[in-house]
Amino acid sequence: MPKCIIDGREVEFTPGQNLIEVAKSAGIVIPGFCYHPGLSVVAQCRMCAVEIEKMPKLQTACSTAATEGMVVKTRSERVKDAQKSVMEFLLINHPLDCPICDKAGECDLQDRSFDYGSPYQRYAEERRTFEDVDMGPVIKKNMNRCIHCTRCIRFGDEIAGIREMVAIHRGNSTEITTLTGLPLETEYAGNYADICPTGSLTLKDFRFKKRVWFLKKVPTICEGCSRGCSLELHQSDNVIYRCVARENLEVNKYWICDEGRFNFHYVQAPERLTEPAARQGGSLQSAEWSVAVAKAKATIVDKKVTVLVGSDLTQEEALLLKELAPKHFPGAAMFHFGTPGITAGQHDAPADKILKRTSKTSNLHGLEQLGFEGLVTLPRGTEAVVVFRGGRATLPDLGGLATVGVGVFTAAEAEAFQAVLPGLTFTEKSGTIVNFEGREQQLKRVILPLGQAKPLAEILTMWANVGAAAVVARAGAKV
Amino acid sequence: MQQQTETLFIQHFGKEESRSLAYFREKMAGYSALRKALGMSQDDIINEMKRANLRGRGGAGFPAGVKWGFIPKQSAKPKYLVCNADESEPGTFKDRDIMRYIPHLLIEGMVIGGYAIGAKVGYIYIRGEYTREAKLLNQAISEAYDAGLLGKNILGLGHDFDLTVHRGAGAYICGEETALLSSLEGKRGEPRVKPPFPAQAGAFGGPTIVNNVETLAAVPFIINRGGDWFAGLGKLERSGGTRLFGVSGHVKKPGLYEIGAGSATLRQIIYDFAGGILHDKKLKAVIPGGSSAPVLTPEEIDVIADVDTLAKIGTMLGSASIVVVSEEYCVVRLLTRISKFYAHESCGQCTPCREGTRWMTDVLYRIEHGHGREEDLALLLDLSNNIAGRTLCPLGDAAAGPVASFVKKFQADFEAHIRGGKCPSA
Ligand SMILES: Cc1cc2nc3c(=O)[nH]c(=O)nc-3n(C[C@H](O)[C@H](O)[C@H](O)COP(=O)(O)O)c2cc1C
Ligand code: SF4
Ligand code: SF4
Ligand code: FES
Repeated sequence: MPKCIIDGREVEFTPGQNLIEVAKSAGIVIPGFCYHPGLSVVAQCRMCAVEIEKMPKLQTACSTAATEGMVVKTRSERVKDAQKSVMEFLLINHPLDCPICDKAGECDLQDRSFDYGSPYQRYAEERRTFEDVDMGPVIKKNMNRCIHCTRCIRFGDEIAGIREMVAIHRGNSTEITTLTGLPLETEYAGNYADICPTGSLTLKDFRFKKRVWFLKKVPTICEGCSRGCSLELHQSDNVIYRCVARENLEVNKYWICDEGRFNFHYVQAPERLTEPAARQGGSLQSAEWSVAVAKAKATIVDKKVTVLVGSDLTQEEALLLKELAPKHFPGAAMFHFGTPGITAGQHDAPADKILKRTSKTSNLHGLEQLGFEGLVTLPRGTEAVVVFRGGRATLPDLGGLATVGVGVFTAAEAEAFQAVLPGLTFTEKSGTIVNFEGREQQLKRVILPLGQAKPLAEILTMWANVGAAAVVARAGAKV
Repeated sequence: MQQQTETLFIQHFGKEESRSLAYFREKMAGYSALRKALGMSQDDIINEMKRANLRGRGGAGFPAGVKWGFIPKQSAKPKYLVCNADESEPGTFKDRDIMRYIPHLLIEGMVIGGYAIGAKVGYIYIRGEYTREAKLLNQAISEAYDAGLLGKNILGLGHDFDLTVHRGAGAYICGEETALLSSLEGKRGEPRVKPPFPAQAGAFGGPTIVNNVETLAAVPFIINRGGDWFAGLGKLERSGGTRLFGVSGHVKKPGLYEIGAGSATLRQIIYDFAGGILHDKKLKAVIPGGSSAPVLTPEEIDVIADVDTLAKIGTMLGSASIVVVSEEYCVVRLLTRISKFYAHESCGQCTPCREGTRWMTDVLYRIEHGHGREEDLALLLDLSNNIAGRTLCPLGDAAAGPVASFVKKFQADFEAHIRGGKCPSA
């Protein structure tokens, strides 16, 4: 591999790599704002200036490819002076409203300012100001904080495939906005907030909810479709506040869709059933675990049962069911379900040109690997159904059959059920899911189970330990 | 008075009839260079251009032949020849006369250039305000099409070349060649990162040469009479041909003057050609190459007005537009006005230019209006330092150079404004 010299160290590089990337591989940080590895290079912010031997002017590292023997200095006096002046220029019109800015604590501008800026201010002129703009359901814009890095413009153009963010006017009056003043249209708008290096584009969903330094960040995988994008979920005090994209060059690069980003909300929605429940006097009512399990078992006893397994379950959960179903539900047929119309992996296809897939559950392909078959219609003669669900799979029409739900349901979804045994969402458990390419990925537990929700293994153990007949009597007596 | 060299352009200016194809053929051997060029090899033309020592007339003075030589012989994408007729640098008005009085000369130069670099399509990007010039160019272009001098199989010699006039929308930055190309492509007129240079990836991604009007208009002379002859019109080693100097400001005879490159000093141009200072006042300052060129004091103008000679003393020939300022005009006001122009014309992409040009202008405005502070002059110098050489395109330098030079050379005037709380001459 060819080598160049950065700050006196010999560093290997792949031809074509720019100096920011080459330096990074050696642990040397060259600061920049407009550069984003997933977007085209524009060299606009001028922050990444470096000194290169034999070149009279400072060069922008983002737009300079390393060459054999190139000698680069990233911390010379000239470079420091340039960095300091860029920081000064970027801040003269900035409102410095960090105390009330959602980006504070994870803001490139703030951090670079600390590392490369000057503690003194020389600007005595009037600051440029703009009104805040509501950019639709996802993003709110505060143009005063914008540093004109144009990442958002390039994201729209190059990744989302829609040139909706643009620069209007010119020079010092340049405003970054939507072309028409209309709301953002892309279904990937959340990424605008992820890549904005300042608090200019913020997620409406997260604004003013939490100071970011209180958030615990857990790397996990999205369950929104069969791609399985890499995510980070951010929680504090067992509440999830936010979901952001996590770099994974092989699956989702740096991006996620809005559906995946905001999917986590159902986990802590008040509609979710997190208490065991049993049907009593015509309606579903909260019950003790033992009562609910007894009710569930009573519902299916002596009936022809079909077991439905959501393709939103993990491999571990599915394997467990495969092993234990013959014992707990002898003779029952077992199928997976998840997205209407997609009963087999081969039906799963790209849903757009970016990331989304048509299978709206994460583990369709995993369940197929384990030999599960997709539900087309319930076997003739089915009298009762047991549904295992992670929370995202679309429930099939159960035609009024006696149903037991195990896993995650809302009160409305379970309205006609005989019993609900509350299980865990993808944020409350760890496990393996397999994406459309057959890639095994790991879900990580983000929060502790809410309410009385329990892992599937525990629910199945209870199922085995509660004698049906005995508990039927008890259920009758107590509920 | 300086001995006169032969002039190429100026004798045809100011005459209605010089626009016509008939005049051009009769009085200027029109399109004979084209016939000759189409019989030459591309390399021969480029070599002739190199020998001519034709320095680009757009501002940077880059040797045109060398630039043409950068165009790759083979290219998967179509190549383009683009004429920069944006002429927006304050003080500049030379390309305009070429376009309105001898448009065919430019057309002929472009067809030859297209042949030399292998481009079948050319554009003239003209500043939006030149409505009349655009119309005249279009008339000349249709004349040329009708005469088989543009289009398919030109002069029956197998070369194809189509030429279109593209009007800008009034942005100075679109004179910068990569911004010009973006604008031509229908995008926002913003400069692009170089490399890639236009010769590698220019208009629509194809290899492209961008040349100034005056540069391209010189081509037919070079082909007809040879690169060595053209080089000999210039009096210095590396600078051939004649130069159109636009002299404006406080002189008795403002206007265009054509002289052999490097054949006169600034003083000679101002006093011998342009008649000296208006009302016989004292000379205060000279901006030698369009408003972006660092200013000179009266003591500095005994310098040959050419690319390398002016660069040596820290300023530039630029578009050869000399702005002359008499003692009657306030230099603080002048610099404020210049600074405001660049702040207004900054495209706003890159940080130092977007923020710094406005900041400098605000400070200057305060000083001009009597609200300056002692530390402002050091601040201005520092700001111009923080912009110069650190921006994406040379507009940053264009804004920084005047500020640094005015403040250093006319420090007393600035201090008088600051200390007196107003303009001393007001
Ligand atoms: C801000 C800026 C404005 C410019 N404006 C013009 C212009 O109006 N006309 C022009 O010919 N060149 C202009 N130039 C120079 C062009 O970028 C380019 O160098 C020139 O057109 C090349 O032609 P030449 O080699 O024939 O001089 C400008 C450059 C800058 C940086
Ligand atoms: S809004 Fe954010 S991403 Fe867009 S240009 Fe401004 S700072 Fe950059
Ligand atoms: S120097 Fe000014 S005009 Fe040139 S790219 Fe930067 S902001 Fe635009
Ligand atoms: S990161 Fe290189 S100029 Fe912005």
